[in-house]
Amino acid sequence: MAEVSFICKRTVISTKPVQPAKFCPLSVLDRVMERNYLHIVLYYQSPVEQSPGELTKKLREANAEMLSSFPIITGRLLKTPEGHWTIKCNDAGMRMVEARAKGSVEEWLQNLDREKELQLVHWEEMFHKPYFWSTFYVKVTEFEEGGIAIGLSCTHLLSDPPCATMLMKAWADMTLGGKMISPPLFHPLPGRRPGNTKTNHDPYVELVDHYKSYIDMPAPVFDTKQATVTLRFEDEFVRRCITGISSEESSRTPFEALAALFWVVVSKVKGTKGGLTNMSICLDMRKVLGLDRGFFGNCMVYNKVNGDGIEGHELCEAANAIKEVVKKMDADGIMDLIEWLEARNCQNPPWMNGYDLICVNLEDVDSYSALFEDNARPLRASYYIEPPVGEGQILILPLPAGARDTFSRVVMITLPENEVKKLLEDALIQELSPTILMGLKKMPS
Amino acid sequence: MPEMLPKYVKLGYQYLVDHILTFLFIPIMAAVSIQILKLGPEEILTIWNSLHFDFVQILCSSFLVTLIATVYFMSKPRSIYLVDYACYKPPITSRVPFWTFMEHSRLILKDNPKSVEFQMRILERSGLGEETSLPPAIHYIPPNPTMEAARGEAEAVIFSAIDTLMQKTSIEPKDIDILIVNCSLFSPTPSLSAMVVNKYKLRSNIKSFNLSGMGCSAGLISIDLARDLLQVHPNSNALVVSTEIITPNYYQGSERAMLLPNCLFRMGGAAILLSNKRGDRNRAKYKLVHVVRTHKGADDKAYKCVYEQEDPQGKVGINLSKDLMIIAGEALKSNITTIGPLVLPASEQLLFLFILIGRKIFNPKWKPYIPDFKQAFEHFCIHAGGRAVIDELQKNLQLSAEHVEASRMTLHRFGNTSSSSLWYELSYIEAKGRMKKGDRIWQIAFGSGFKCNSAVWKCNRRINTPNIGPWQDCIDRYPVHIPEIVKL
Repeated sequence: MAEVSFICKRTVISTKPVQPAKFCPLSVLDRVMERNYLHIVLYYQSPVEQSPGELTKKLREANAEMLSSFPIITGRLLKTPEGHWTIKCNDAGMRMVEARAKGSVEEWLQNLDREKELQLVHWEEMFHKPYFWSTFYVKVTEFEEGGIAIGLSCTHLLSDPPCATMLMKAWADMTLGGKMISPPLFHPLPGRRPGNTKTNHDPYVELVDHYKSYIDMPAPVFDTKQATVTLRFEDEFVRRCITGISSEESSRTPFEALAALFWVVVSKVKGTKGGLTNMSICLDMRKVLGLDRGFFGNCMVYNKVNGDGIEGHELCEAANAIKEVVKKMDADGIMDLIEWLEARNCQNPPWMNGYDLICVNLEDVDSYSALFEDNARPLRASYYIEPPVGEGQILILPLPAGARDTFSRVVMITLPENEVKKLLEDALIQELSPTILMGLKKMPS
Repeated sequence: MPEMLPKYVKLGYQYLVDHILTFLFIPIMAAVSIQILKLGPEEILTIWNSLHFDFVQILCSSFLVTLIATVYFMSKPRSIYLVDYACYKPPITSRVPFWTFMEHSRLILKDNPKSVEFQMRILERSGLGEETSLPPAIHYIPPNPTMEAARGEAEAVIFSAIDTLMQKTSIEPKDIDILIVNCSLFSPTPSLSAMVVNKYKLRSNIKSFNLSGMGCSAGLISIDLARDLLQVHPNSNALVVSTEIITPNYYQGSERAMLLPNCLFRMGGAAILLSNKRGDRNRAKYKLVHVVRTHKGADDKAYKCVYEQEDPQGKVGINLSKDLMIIAGEALKSNITTIGPLVLPASEQLLFLFILIGRKIFNPKWKPYIPDFKQAFEHFCIHAGGRAVIDELQKNLQLSAEHVEASRMTLHRFGNTSSSSLWYELSYIEAKGRMKKGDRIWQIAFGSGFKCNSAVWKCNRRINTPNIGPWQDCIDRYPVHIPEIVKL
C-alpha cells in the first residue's frame, strides 16, 4: 500500500544569480568520501489550520532564499585537469520533491522501519555525466492529518552529517525569521600551524595506514539485507553503563561507553573469535582543527580501533582502546593525514564505510535547533550514511531538547537483519532498558 | 550621395526645409510692416474708414467663421491619452538560469541529444540573461501544463498588472468603460476578459473584447482597437491588457524548428489605461499620435512563416521558418513606407523624393536613401523578439546602440514576453530618466501573420523616475554588456 504519494519534482533556484565563472574546489577529506551519500530526516508537528501545500510553499521559498548563500550546492561537479572533483558554480539549482502521506506524523513514528523511513527521502545515483546531476535533494512530505517530514539527501563529497545539519538549520532560520543566524563559511582546510608543531614530531602512522588500507582494498560486496533500528538510552542508564566500565564517572564520555558497549555486543552477535570485530570510529574534527561550526565541507575522520586480544566481556578494555585512539586524533595527527592524502593524489576513491563496523560520533550535531516554525522543535531526527555495506554502522546522536549536559543518547544501528534481532535480545543492551524508537519491520500477521 | 555632403551643409539644409514656412513668412511680414510704416497715420485712418462695415456683412462673416471652426473641431479625431501603464514583475523564485533550463531539457529530451545541443546553441546566442522567468508548471520535471495551471498563470500575471495600474492611476473598477485583453495562445472559455470582469466586478454595460491568435504584435492591435472605440464613445476610458501565457504552449517534442520558442518566450504582461477624457489631459503620461498596421498575410510565404502545427509525434508547437528575418524585413519596409510621410520632417521626405526620382530617371545605381528616423523620434521600442530582430532593425534603421538599449536590456532581463515587451522597454527608458516632455516614441512590433505594427506616442508631461516598476530593483545594474556567445 503506497502510503507516501508523489506530488511533483522540481528544481529550486537561488534568488540571487551567482557570479559567473566561480569554482569551489573540494578538499582531500571531501574527495575521499566520494562513494558515500547521506540521508537526514526531520519530523515536525504542524499547525492544523494550515491548508495543504501552504507550508511546503513557504519552505520552498525560504529554500530559494537560503540557496543564495550556498552557491556550492547549486553548482555542478566537474573534474579539474588534474582529475580532481571541483564544483563549478553555474546556478543550476537543487532538486526538490513534494509528497503527501496518509495519517499523522505521530502514527507514522509509531510503526516505523528502515524501508518506510527511506520513502521520505529522494536520491538519485550520480549520472554518467555528473555535470547535469544535482548533488542535493530535498523531499518534503506533508501528513494529511498533521505533521511534516523533511528529508535531505546529499553526496558525501560535499558535506558530512554536521555540515548537512548546519544546512537544515540555515533553512529553518530562513523560513522562520527571513535570515540566517550563523552564515556558512567556505574556505579550504587549515594548513599546519607553524608555531604549534612539536619538534621531532612522530607522524601519526596508524591513521595514515588505516586510510591506505582502505584505498588498497577491492570493492566490497553488497549482498546481505541490512536493517536499521533506533534505540533511546536514558541518562541514568548511560551513567550506570559508564560506572560499570570504570569507577570514576568523569573518565569516560557517553560516546566511549556506548561505543565500547556496542562493540562488544556486535562482536558477540557476529561470533567473532580471538578478540573484538574490526571497528573504526569516525569523529568530527572541527573543534580539533579550530574550525567554526559553520565550516562547509567534510571534516570527519575515520580511525581504526584495535580489538585484538580483548575478550568478549571486557568492556573496560574496549573503552580504553577507544579512548586511546580518540586522544591520538589531535591536530598534528590529522594534519599528517591531510598532507599524506594530498601527496598521494589517489584517483580511485576508497569505500570508507565499506568494510569494518563503523561507529560515528554525532553527539554534537544540533538538529534539534532547526525550527521551521515558532516553538516547533523536531520530534525526531534520523541520520543514514549510505550505502549500507560493510560490517555495520552505529551512529550516536543527541536527544531532542535535552539539557546540554545530559548523558541520554539516541543510537541508530545498521546491521544485517538477523544480527539486529540478536542484538536487541542481548543481555547487556537489555540491562540499559532502551526505548525502541524504530524497530525491525513488522511482518504482517 | 547625401552621405558625402559635409555635416553642416546637411544640418543647414534640414533647418531650412523644416522651417520653410517661417522663412517665407518673415520676409512677407517684414515687407508689409515696412509698407504700413511708410504710410502716415492719417493715411491709415482714411483706409480704415473707407472699408464700409455693414452690420449684416459682419454678422454673416462671423457666422461663417464660427461655422467653419465648429465643423473643424467636431471632425477632428479625439485625442487619446495614455494615462499610465503597469508591467508584471515575476517573482524571483520563478527565474530560470541557463543551466537549469539545459538540465531540464536534457532530462526531458533524453533520447534526442541533438535537439538538446540545438537548444544550448540557441540559448548561448539568445541575448537572454539569468533572471528571465517561466511559470511554475514549467519548472516541474517533467513539465505539467494543465489547464488549471494555465489559468493560475493568467490570474497571477493579469491581476498583478491590473492591481499595480489601479494603484498608480487611482481608478475605480466601476469607472472602466472598455476592456480589451490580448493573449495569443491561451484562449479559454469564459475568456480572459470575462475573468477580469469577474475578478474586479466591472460594470455590466462594459464593452469587453478578447483578442486571441494575433501573435506578438497584438499589443498594438489592442491599442488601435481601443483608439477606434474611444473615437465613438465620448468621455470614456479603456483598460488594455497585453500578455502571453506560457504554460499551455511549452513544446514537449523534439523538432528543432519548434524548440526555438521554448528558449526565448518568457512570462510577462502589461496593463495600460487609455482615456479620451478632458480631465486626464494633464495627468496622462503620453498622447497617442499614430498607429500604423501592416499585414503581409496575402503572401503565402509570409502567412506560413510562423505556423502552429503538430510535429510527426503529434505534439503541438510553433514552427518558425528559416525565411523569418527576410519576411520581417519586407514587412518593416512596408510599414516604414506608410509611417514615413506621417512622422518624418519635410527635409527627410524631400531628400527621399529626390533620390527616388533620381534613381528612376537618372541613375538606378544610386543607393536608395533610408530616411533618418532619428530625426523623427527620440526613443525607439523595438519588440524584443530575439537578438536577430533587434540587430536587423538596428542595421536597417541605422540606429545607435543607445537607441536599441531598451530593447536589448528588456530581452536580457525579461526575455521575449511577446506583446507586452514594448511596455517593459518603455518602462526601462522611464526608469533611466531619459524621457522628457515632448519626446516622441516609436513602438514597433512584429507578429505571426505576418504583421508589422507601429505606434507613435508623444510624451505629455514631465515624467519622474518611477518608484513602482519592473525595473525598480535592478535598473542600477543596467546597461550590461551582453556577449555574442555566453559559454555554457
